[in-house]
Amino acid sequence: MRFAKAAPEARQQRKQAGNWLKQLRADAGLSQVELAGRLGLKYYTFVSQVENGFGRVPTESMEAWAVALGADPSTFARQLVSFYDPELHRLLFEVRS
Amino acid sequence: MTVIAFPPRHAHDAGSHWPSGELNAIVEALVPQLTSGDAAAWDVGMTELGDPQFYLLGPPPNDECIMCISRLGRVYVLEDGAGQVLFEHNSLLVLAEQAKRVLQKRKSQIIAKAAVLWCALREAFEEKLEPIVGESEELLTHFVPQLAAFA
Repeated sequence: MRFAKAAPEARQQRKQAGNWLKQLRADAGLSQVELAGRLGLKYYTFVSQVENGFGRVPTESMEAWAVALGADPSTFARQLVSFYDPELHRLLFEVRS
Repeated sequence: MTVIAFPPRHAHDAGSHWPSGELNAIVEALVPQLTSGDAAAWDVGMTELGDPQFYLLGPPPNDECIMCISRLGRVYVLEDGAGQVLFEHNSLLVLAEQAKRVLQKRKSQIIAKAAVLWCALREAFEEKLEPIVGESEELLTHFVPQLAAFA
């Protein structure tokens, strides 16, 4: 039987997602301010919040983040789900029916 | 005229980048929310440019940021966990008060949603249960006289 992930694990996964996003942004040659500008955010602070592992990219803006970072939206969303909800990712993409 | 000295960026300890007075003011303002369970914990961090951030974390198991206070030069920005700007002001105390109000409102919304859900569930349960109970009563009125006759 599988149980819900423990809190430190969820936090750690969000941190890993943040690091991955930071790397993606660096590869795109963007600063946090520039990324926020592309996302239409008034302040760049949310980008930092997400990259520091305290927040997550909202589902409704995943596509916008992917486009801003020059990534394929589907692959981008799949990777984020693997960090934010590993169990859902396992069921969707790893379990063979 | 009162001139408030505004400490420049990067002038503070590398641990949090929040001037300790400001950090204490935020934490003190949010103590009721932290003790009442509206928020579970808090943490600090900083942006790429070294601007300090204060993260108010929600309950376990996710411990996600439910509110973030950032200091950008002379402006304090209050955002929710989804990046929506809720308030901005150059007074930290005003901003902290606003943060408290937002958290109280959030709690009221959660209670209201729970109440609506409870009413909907109860109504659905009664709707389902009523025909069953009614049917049982009908059966009982038919069979009790017959059973009594056998007895």
